[in-house]
Amino acid sequence: MDSDIEMEMESDNDGEFDDDYDYYNTGEDCDVERLDPKRADPEYFEYDCLTVEDIEKLLNELVEKLNTILQITPSLAKVLLLEHQWNNNAVVEKYRQDANALLVTARIKPPTIVADSASTSAAAAAASAQLLRIGSCGYRTASSSASSSNSNSNSTSTSSSLLSSQYRKMCPVCASSQPSDKFYSLACGHSFCKDCWTIYFETQIFQGISIQIGCMAQQCNVRVPEDLVLTLVTRPVMRDKYQQFAFKDYVKSHPELRFCPGPNCQIIVQSSEISAKRAICKVCHTGFCFKCGMDYHAPTDCQIIKKWLTKCADDSETANYISAHTKDCPKCHICIEKNGGCNHMQCFNCKHDFCWMCLGDWKTHGSEYYECSRYKDNPNIANESVHVQAREALKKYLHYYERWENHSKSLKLEQQTIDRMRQRINAKVMNGSGTWIDWQYLFNAAALLAKCRYTLQYTYPYAYYMEGGSRKNLFEYQQAQLEAEIENLSWKIERAETTDLADLENQMDIAEKRRTTLLKDFFPVVGKV
Amino acid sequence: MANMAVSRIKREFKEVMRSEEIVQCSIKIELVNDSWTELRGEIAGPPDTPYEGGKFVLEIKVPETYPFNPPKVRFITRIWHPNISSVTGAICLDILKDNWAAAMTLRTVLLSLQALLAAAEPDDPQDAVVAYQFKDKHDLFLLTAKHWTNAYAGGPHTYPDCDSKIQRLKDMGIDEHDARAVLSKENWNLEKATECLFS
Repeated sequence: MDSDIEMEMESDNDGEFDDDYDYYNTGEDCDVERLDPKRADPEYFEYDCLTVEDIEKLLNELVEKLNTILQITPSLAKVLLLEHQWNNNAVVEKYRQDANALLVTARIKPPTIVADSASTSAAAAAASAQLLRIGSCGYRTASSSASSSNSNSNSTSTSSSLLSSQYRKMCPVCASSQPSDKFYSLACGHSFCKDCWTIYFETQIFQGISIQIGCMAQQCNVRVPEDLVLTLVTRPVMRDKYQQFAFKDYVKSHPELRFCPGPNCQIIVQSSEISAKRAICKVCHTGFCFKCGMDYHAPTDCQIIKKWLTKCADDSETANYISAHTKDCPKCHICIEKNGGCNHMQCFNCKHDFCWMCLGDWKTHGSEYYECSRYKDNPNIANESVHVQAREALKKYLHYYERWENHSKSLKLEQQTIDRMRQRINAKVMNGSGTWIDWQYLFNAAALLAKCRYTLQYTYPYAYYMEGGSRKNLFEYQQAQLEAEIENLSWKIERAETTDLADLENQMDIAEKRRTTLLKDFFPVVGKV
Repeated sequence: MANMAVSRIKREFKEVMRSEEIVQCSIKIELVNDSWTELRGEIAGPPDTPYEGGKFVLEIKVPETYPFNPPKVRFITRIWHPNISSVTGAICLDILKDNWAAAMTLRTVLLSLQALLAAAEPDDPQDAVVAYQFKDKHDLFLLTAKHWTNAYAGGPHTYPDCDSKIQRLKDMGIDEHDARAVLSKENWNLEKATECLFS
């Protein structure tokens, strides 16, 4: 009996399933009512909202793991992981197959180092030896490369003096002569002085380039490792910038991570399922499509919504203008804009005189000016005309666009309805008809309405790009059904006068069922279960 | 930073002055002002190209952040080339944009431009009209380029036919450069050029 009380207390929270679990205290197989959410809900999506620190930890773990396998520096491991979508196994496998090729494609080594030894196995051994050396030190000062060049014939370093510290040489960038221990070079052997590298890094960082910074030599694209940049750049502002940009690049290159698109939000969303499902940031509550980062757009897929939004951005204003201010010439069907007050139009193309109001021949207007009530049937214009086709295409687009836009507006209006509803409920509670809690169901209903309308809005781009046929018929049928139920629901919410919720709950259930049915059948992520 | 730009330019200036190309008269460089921020380059049209025998003058502006950002270069001498604007002289060359490297010098830039004159890339055009002619009517392109080299850069090939057509348009009150540009664009079709100018 104790547990009953506990249950009541806990059920204020919405954790019904948790209660079941506690109550029966048995394994999952006993849980008959709990359906697999992946099957029941086409929008089910598992994800985590992580902070920058969490992500840094996660990435560092991956880096360390690779370090221990391949024995390389963290900055080198980061580059390799970045180039392989943070897939540790892929890096290790490629390394085992051909370490040299791996380093060349990751731009750690220049492609044209020719091994002296003819046999390929020796070359491979040299390459992996080099990897170890690069790994132990991602860059070389001239003195260290000078000493290593004695033991290694591969090295392209130009320095060969043993008196390395006294040796002075010319930096090809600043054109000044400096002691050779001030010089740094990458695996490619191009050697430049410390100051030039530093200024170069700062110039690049200033332009937003971080981990893609390359060697300063002509036609050399060897990448500068993170540790060299951070060794030489000492201004804290620049270091911070570099690290920020680098972090952004790391996150963007990781397929399972997305920056929350919410304004000034620092959260990074992680999911192992990379699909066009809705992730909602737990901090700023921004919802977005995990795959493309745009507003959530089920049942339309990412490419189509992008196409649609671009089209709307390009066309809607133009299209609206065309539809509002132009008509086709009744004779040659060219599109005409009326730019004066007179209704006597002369087509600039075919010189046809006609009336703007009724599109009839102006000759018949002579005496009865502005009496266009004689408008009969629209003279059946030549259907094959290009202009007619263009206008038909525009009509089709506007048909979908108007509905898309209308639902978008309705969504905003219904937000106002909720505010009004709150006032109305206050008044009712004051008058003694029900308590505040009795009326809570209305807010749930409004939230569900918004959810359904949102999906409905995004069915229009889908329908616009859908090819005709039985599947489109089915889609439009379901769309119409959903639309009808949504309007019913909206009507009922706006006029709810009693605390009798059976009817409304029934309507909510129907609307949500229509919505999930449509998504189950057409949301591309889910496919056919 | 500006100091580095100046010291670099001074050095590069000397490098060009000492180079073999100067001896062969194929490239040249001179100062425009005392601040070393603007220079004037000159390259000779490479042999076996329609630009042979011409001298092409370049405007070179050195940014504050040189050599970490590329110099801004354009042709002052008018030239008919797919990768160079026939109107403004703007150049489409990778090393003057993304592929610039701090280790490159004015000498490499001038030599690269000379190489560009020898090997045009019509698929990555700066001047679409020229590029179209280059690909579609290559003989006419060669003729036009030689004619422009003669008219603006002192090249040896004269084309009386072109000159007379330009004269015809000049007689109608058209500026010589405009007449040449329109005729070149219209593949030396006088009728079309006239139509284009007077419609």
